[in-house]
Amino acid sequence: MSGFDRWVEGSTRALARRLSRRSLLRRVGVALAGAAAFPVLPVARAAGEGDAARAAAPPETIDGPAGDPSRCEYWRHCAIDGFLCSCCGGSQTACPPGTEMSPISWVGTCRNPLDGKDYVIVYNDCCGRGFCGRCFCNRNEGDRPIYHPYRSNDINWCGGASTQVYHCSTALLAGLALEAQPEK
Amino acid sequence: MRRVFVVAVLLFIGDGAGVSSADDAVTRFDFVLNCSGCHRTDASGSATVPALGETDALIATREGRDYLIRVPGVAQAPLSDERLARLMNFVVREFGRAPEFEPFTAVEVSRLRAVPLRSPLSARP
Repeated sequence: MSGFDRWVEGSTRALARRLSRRSLLRRVGVALAGAAAFPVLPVARAAGEGDAARAAAPPETIDGPAGDPSRCEYWRHCAIDGFLCSCCGGSQTACPPGTEMSPISWVGTCRNPLDGKDYVIVYNDCCGRGFCGRCFCNRNEGDRPIYHPYRSNDINWCGGASTQVYHCSTALLAGLALEAQPEK
Repeated sequence: MRRVFVVAVLLFIGDGAGVSSADDAVTRFDFVLNCSGCHRTDASGSATVPALGETDALIATREGRDYLIRVPGVAQAPLSDERLARLMNFVVREFGRAPEFEPFTAVEVSRLRAVPLRSPLSARP
């Protein structure tokens, strides 16, 4: 038997005399759990920082109408005034085929019911085909009279597109709001 | 284009890089909420809305400075005089190419926004 083997055997026997098996298992368990809680590889640390940067993404797993993009009650639709693109062949973030997203938009904030935070919501209209006619919503929270055009949803926001024919509205997320829009 | 637009807004708000203070963050937020809907997040404007780089020509003269604050979209913005002054200084610095300009103050903004333009297109210097 080599010297190294004798040293390992002696150390193990000495450890066994000092520690009970339960105590050893407990310490090994704590070490394993601690390693999982504090990632040491740089890749794992970088991934964690990425998660923090993406923290502005709101929770979308909301039960009921407030979590359904095809409903007026959907949380991002707090200021909607028009037809939902989700019901018109598009989605809450994409225009239906054959339409064009207007480059100008109504911008406001909506509160996410799960985390209670306010988020900037950008309502871009989809233009180029006649009224969709499905899922008309008119919630208007934070809407202002038309003499405040930048915060009035009654004007035609297809004005910046190549055609001014309104079809439906999207509700794009633009990040966490530092505060609720002042009109609320 | 719309994806670029959304990503630009997300970067504007979600990424703290380049924001040196809480005031700067508030000013950028004020820009997104009150300006970017029409002027767009890159301030490029559209067929019906002027690009904010055009502030260069206006900031150089007294009449132009007054116009920048008295134009209805600015004068009626739901912001305090202090926040509006910071926002306009940000717009001129961020999107214009004017090398130097005298920053707007809250007192100046308060005086000018009290007399908003009734016909901004015809009043433009």
